[in-house]
Amino acid sequence: MKMKNSNLITKKDLMRTFWRSFTAEWSWNYERQMNLGYSFAIRPALEKIYSQKPEQLTTAYQRHLEFYNVTPWLITFPLGISIAMEEQNAVNENFDESSINDVKIALMGPLSGLGDSFFWGTLRVIATGIGTSLAMQGNILGPLLFLLIFNIPAIIARYFGLFIGYNIGASFIEKVQKTGLMDKLSYGASILGLSVVGAMVATMVTLNMPLTIGSGSDATSLQDIFDGIVPQILPLLFTLFIFLLDRKGLKAHWILLMIAGIGIFGAWSGLLG
Amino acid sequence: MSIVITAIILALIAMLANGEYFLGSSMLSRPLVTCTLAGLVMGDVTQGIIIGATLELAFVGSFSIGASIPPEIISGSVLGTAFAIGAGKSTAVALTLGIPIASLVLVVKNLCFLFILPYFVHKADKYASEGNGKGVDRMNIFGGFFSINLPIGLVVGFSYLFGSEAIKGLLDVIPEFVINGLGIATGLLPAFGFAMLMKIMIKKTNATFFILGFAVAVYMKVPVTGVAVFGACMALILTGYSSFTGKKLTTSDNQEVNNQSGNALVGQEINYEDEEF
Repeated sequence: MKMKNSNLITKKDLMRTFWRSFTAEWSWNYERQMNLGYSFAIRPALEKIYSQKPEQLTTAYQRHLEFYNVTPWLITFPLGISIAMEEQNAVNENFDESSINDVKIALMGPLSGLGDSFFWGTLRVIATGIGTSLAMQGNILGPLLFLLIFNIPAIIARYFGLFIGYNIGASFIEKVQKTGLMDKLSYGASILGLSVVGAMVATMVTLNMPLTIGSGSDATSLQDIFDGIVPQILPLLFTLFIFLLDRKGLKAHWILLMIAGIGIFGAWSGLLG
Repeated sequence: MSIVITAIILALIAMLANGEYFLGSSMLSRPLVTCTLAGLVMGDVTQGIIIGATLELAFVGSFSIGASIPPEIISGSVLGTAFAIGAGKSTAVALTLGIPIASLVLVVKNLCFLFILPYFVHKADKYASEGNGKGVDRMNIFGGFFSINLPIGLVVGFSYLFGSEAIKGLLDVIPEFVINGLGIATGLLPAFGFAMLMKIMIKKTNATFFILGFAVAVYMKVPVTGVAVFGACMALILTGYSSFTGKKLTTSDNQEVNNQSGNALVGQEINYEDEEF
């Protein structure tokens, strides 16, 4: 991708940051989360920008060891912006250094919101849907397609994020807030994600009630009665039930235990099968 | 293959899976991948893939969003698969073993997070204040390796080495209906994952699309991939893609920005202090 003219940072430098950004979550820690990954990715650029100014280089290292967290595949976007701003900071004496971290942190919320709903809620759900439906039949294409469907867009986003971030620098945030672009993208991703989640509830949650009512030729299973109302209504209701429990604040491991308990009780009583 | 070699290879698989975080958060730690690899080592790759699909759905809701740490699915899926295939048992057994293992190893992982990793984080601060960039780099690489990657590998390797006989004995004692019941639970577990996804995504303004996806799947028998295509079209239409005067969303943005960037650069220097962040 084309980058804006700079007499210092070259495409090669940005590519080093690109590759190094792959380690963003490697040393993820409770205290400052992705700080080590962020500083690892930006270091070669900093070294080049401040090659004549060791003191500024030291403060720049420290600056990028501050707390940071973002959806990992989008981390190159704030990285690009940071590099552009550091570059200005090096040449302009009046540059407000603290604005570099301010911009970085301002991006954290909106970018993660968009990223989580797109990468976790949409892209991964689609990759999982296609991957597992093949893998259920023991097809090796299942895991392979799963990885490809997820990673190709993720790497493309990582690549363009860096260059777009670098090219537009800090002016981006203002622009986004004016046009509402981020909200629009988030909304679009949630439409796609939720319709796929709906379809997966219908096809991938299994809840059978083989118990029959009546006798002889009149016997119908509970399953048929429910499916007569709306097909797959039992998996739907069960999912909504778990959704409500989760919303009420029931802890995840209790929900998991409860599901295991329901399964065992169902098998013991013959209610589920 | 001797049990020691198998244990070592399983440990390496676990480390590769955790290596996802060194390799672009690329989903290598998901059960679809790890169970397939574990199945390959245990000599039944097809069974490994099938177990992977089941565990993937069971754990579909466990992912690290924000600051939450999900169950340690790597050890759960690698060991669950290895024990189940090793004992000649079904997918339900892999899940029966995998879930408690994942919860137990999460405790180990959290201990590492609390007691080992902070050392590297603070050491990095020290290097930074000395202007030693290479030192900071090293802390990033060593931190993840010694605090998380290696411990997970060791836990998986040793658990397999010492656990497989015990597990075989244990599986013979568990009553039939418990195994069957956990098989049923396998079918129910994806509901938990989907509920977690809905929690982060659903709002009044988009809840309809959940129903739409469900209805299209049950009444029109459209497979998941098909629903994804319809969903993508709906998303493009409803976000007013067509009203972007026919230009592509991203390129029009970039051009605009590129045109501006010359002027903007001059303006930026003044603007920073006025901007509200």
